[in-house]
Parts: sequence; C-alpha cells; structure tokens
Amino acid sequence: MRQYIGKRLLTAVLCVFLALLFNFIIIHAAPGNPIRILAGTDSVSEEMVAELTTKYGLDSPLYVQFFRYVGNLFKGDMGVSIYTGQPVAKEIMTRLGPTLLLCLTSCIIALVLGTLLGIFCARHAGSLLDTLLGSVSYFFDSTPSFWLGLMLILLFASTLHLLPTSGMVSLRAPAEGFARVLDIMKHMVLPSLSLSLTLIPYYFRIARTSVIQVGNEDFITTLRAAGMREDRIYRKYVFRNAILPVVTVFGIQLAYIVSGSAIVEIVFSWPGMGSYMMTAITRRDYPTLMGIYFVISVSVAVMMIAVDIVYTYLDPRIGRGSGK
Amino acid sequence: METKREKIRRAFRGNPQLRVGMVMLLVLLVVAVFANVLSPYDPYKLSNDLVSAPSSAHLLGTDHLGRDVLSMLLYGAKVSLMVGTISALIAAVIGTLLGGVAGFFGGKADTIFGGFINVFMMMPTFFLILIVVALFGSGMVKVMVVIGLTSWVGNAKLMRAQALSLRERTFIKSAEAVGESKLKILFRHVVPNGIFPIIANTTMGVASAILTESSLAFLGLGDPNIISWGQIIQNGKAYFLSGWWICLFAGLAIIYTVITFYLLGDGLNRILSPKLRGV
Repeated sequence: MRQYIGKRLLTAVLCVFLALLFNFIIIHAAPGNPIRILAGTDSVSEEMVAELTTKYGLDSPLYVQFFRYVGNLFKGDMGVSIYTGQPVAKEIMTRLGPTLLLCLTSCIIALVLGTLLGIFCARHAGSLLDTLLGSVSYFFDSTPSFWLGLMLILLFASTLHLLPTSGMVSLRAPAEGFARVLDIMKHMVLPSLSLSLTLIPYYFRIARTSVIQVGNEDFITTLRAAGMREDRIYRKYVFRNAILPVVTVFGIQLAYIVSGSAIVEIVFSWPGMGSYMMTAITRRDYPTLMGIYFVISVSVAVMMIAVDIVYTYLDPRIGRGSGK
Repeated sequence: METKREKIRRAFRGNPQLRVGMVMLLVLLVVAVFANVLSPYDPYKLSNDLVSAPSSAHLLGTDHLGRDVLSMLLYGAKVSLMVGTISALIAAVIGTLLGGVAGFFGGKADTIFGGFINVFMMMPTFFLILIVVALFGSGMVKVMVVIGLTSWVGNAKLMRAQALSLRERTFIKSAEAVGESKLKILFRHVVPNGIFPIIANTTMGVASAILTESSLAFLGLGDPNIISWGQIIQNGKAYFLSGWWICLFAGLAIIYTVITFYLLGDGLNRILSPKLRGV
C-alpha cells in the first residue's frame, strides 16, 4: 500500500510539473505583452518598457524564468501580480475561500440529493416517478450552468424579489456576526442552486445504475433465495457495493472544484477564483495565471490520489496490502 | 442466425433513448441544412425593432440590434453541430490512435503513451481551453481544434482497454502468426473491432463540445463574426431583465441539442453493454 501511494505521489508531482511547463509555454508563446498593457497607451517611452521588463524579470531567457518560478514555488512564492502589484499567493488565498465555500456546498448538496434520488429510483425502477425523474435528469444534465444561473436570477431575484442577484455580501448594509452568516447564505442560494442542479444528474444516474447492477448480482440472488428480507439486503449489501462509483464521481468533481465553478461565479459576480481567472486572462497577468494554474493542478492531483486511496479502502476487491 | 436488419431492429426495440435521439437529431439536421429557407429574416440584418417581445412579426422577439431571434437560432444550429462534431471527431482520432498504440503494443509504448494519457487526465481542461482561446484569439477553427485536442482522454482510455483485451484474442494472434505487420493488425483488426465504445463516447463528446463552445461564447471568447447560441446568450445577458426571450430561447436550443446527443450516446452504450439492458 505504501509503495502504491508513493508511486502515485511521484506521478502526481510529475503531472503538476508538466502541467506547469505546458502552461508556461502556452502563456509565453501567446501574442500580447503584459508590460505594454501595464504601461498603458499614452506616451510610453521605450526606456520605461525596458525598465518594467527588467523589473518583472521578463528579459531573461524563458527556461531561466521557468526554473526561477519553480524554485520560488518551493518557498511559497508565486510571484507578484503584474497588474495589482500584490503577491499572487495572497490574492489567491482571499479568492480561494469563497470558491471552496460555494463549490463544497454545491457538491455536497448534489451528492446527497442525487444519490438518494438515484437509490429511490433504482428500487422503484420502471415506475412513473422513475421515468419522470430520469427525463428531468437528462434536462439538467444538458443545461449550461450559466444559462440556468441567468434564469434563476430572472425568476427569483428580478421578478419575485426573493433573493439577491449577485455578490457574496450586501454591500449597502454590511452585517456582523451571525447576521453576516445569514447574509452570505442568502447570497449563496442561487449560485449553489445553479451548480448543484447541473451536478445532480451525474450522481442520480450513477447511483441508480449501480444499485440496479449490484441488485442483479448472483450473491444478492443467493441472499434472496436464502430468505433474507429485502430491506436488509439493500441496506447491508447492495448499497455498500453500489456506493463505490458515487465516491469516485464525488472525488473527481472535487478535483475540478476550483475551475469548475468559474462560469457560475462570473454570472453571479461571486468573488472567487473564477472571476479572478477571467480578469487575469484579459489583463495578460502572467504570474497570476501561472499561480491559478498551479493551484488548480495541485488540487486535481491531490484529489485524484485521495480518490484512489479511499477506493482501495472501500472496495475489498482491490488488493490492499498485496503491495500493488 | 439473425440477419443484420433483424439485429438492428432488435437494437432499436426496447431502446427509447436511441429512437427519441434519432428523431431529435433528424429535426436538428433539417433545421441546420435548411436554415436559410426556414428563417423568416436574415439573421445578420439589423432593424429598428430593438429588444421587442415575441409577436406575430418576430415569433421569438428581437435582440438589442433588432435582429430576429428565431432566425439567429436557426442559423446557430449549423454552428453548434459543426463545432460539436468536428471537435468530437478530432478527439476520437487522437484517442483511438494513442489508446490503440498504448494498449496493443504494450511494453515501452504503453509506458510512454499510457503515461501521457494519465498525465493529460490530470489537466484541468476547461481552464486550458480558456487560456489558449483567450490568448491566441478565438476563430471558430481554433475553438474546434482546441476542444478536440483537450478532450480525447476518455477515448484513449477506452481504446487502450479494448486493445489490451483484443490482442489476446485468437484472430489477432493468428494474424500475427501469419506475419502481418503490427501496424497493419492495429488498423485492420484491433481498431475496427474495438471502436464501438469510442463511437458511443464520441457521440457524448459532441454534446460536451457544444456545451464547452457555448460557455466560451458566453464568456465573450467565441468567434465574434459567427452567430452561435452561446454568443446570443452573452449578448442578451445585458438586456435579460427587459428582454428575457433572447437568453431563454437560445438556452433552450442548446439544451435540445445536447439532450439529443446524450440520448444517442446513451442508446448506443445500451446496445453495447448487455449489463445495462433493462436498466
């Protein structure tokens, strides 16, 4: 097991390194110069451009820039944003919180609701409700989350005036303490609803299919033939075996958590990584882009390994301790 | 022995996904091909009816430049289908090649190509697409190529698994014994026999490519010279409180198209996997 984890870790580190290199090449091969954008368009002297280029270290050869960057990463230094002059690591930290809050909430809601609905439909397969929920799940699976967000704003915020349209806190009436928590929750309803509604179909379908599949396995038939009560069979044997694919999907979705919600964040002006990413792109803010990419790659790699490890513990069929 | 036709008929029976998907696809194809005949107006023509609600003159209303929304939607169908299909095909070709080589040749080839597949699987693709399109410009061709180049991983994994199991089969072994070249076996026998899951997955891939393209267009990173559904939503966003119809119908068009390909992919998967029958 230890050997296995070690091997996976090594792959992950390699992955992150390659992802960074790849990203570095793409960003630097792109047309558009951040210094020019920073310097503005009015009366820019060539000396000023040269000075800024030296200041941000953009004059050394690319490979030097890359290895200097990776070296700094080990010290927790992601460089300084070309646009705001703030350390990238600090800016990312302030943006990461809201994104994690929004995404974790949405993922957990989707996991719980989707799985429960899926299990329910599996046990009542072929019923009217099953068919109906199946069709609804196709609909939400095909819905672009940004469009769903706009429609929710239109319905609940603009027409019914029930909920705020954007942001994370009320700027006009800043609250403290518990009132602030309530305020954030209120702002979170619509964005997390648009995210979780588009995520639920995955869990729904996977839970439903896998419960039905496990329910058809021979060992379940044997239990049934032995006269075990249906409820008990499901509770004790079917669910435990059927939950594996659900766990995998949850892990994979968590892995893309940081980038997955970007577009919904933009629709709702949520102060998270998504909107940060878009502004960084339009400003050609290289250090910020690299930093965001680094955080995303690391979180993806870590989650992938976590899924693997959790999987080996949940599934007795996957050899554990056999050194594999 | 049942004939081929009977086999096909049996595949369709008890597979509502495939049947419904086929009918929906047919409608979509008719719309895309005959868009210029079906559209009541020229979708690029500006008029003085700005953001006017659906009426008998404009069945789905007009946008902020006075363009007829219905006509724009009809023309957009072609763009969505084109982007979806071409991106998915690029992904299918790359996935089949990489997965096939990794699985069939095994050994060092598998270490290199299989490793590459695993590394790429960890790439946050949407962000990658976003960066490339934002930094290199957003022509329609670029968007299609970038989506294709970043979404082949699923196909590669499927093909690798197929090739791994196929190479142990007798007919492959005998082809080897007869002395056919490895490459020839790969393309003549392994790929054609293992392609089915790739076809089902590619059909699903069309759906996700359409979603990705519309997200890009919504972020303002689409091709500004071509009418696409995502772009209609992006333009309508600023007016959606006074003109809800612009965003609403374009979104429904995307959903319709994506559902079509999901149903088709699901239907194809069901034919493939006997385990899923009756599920």
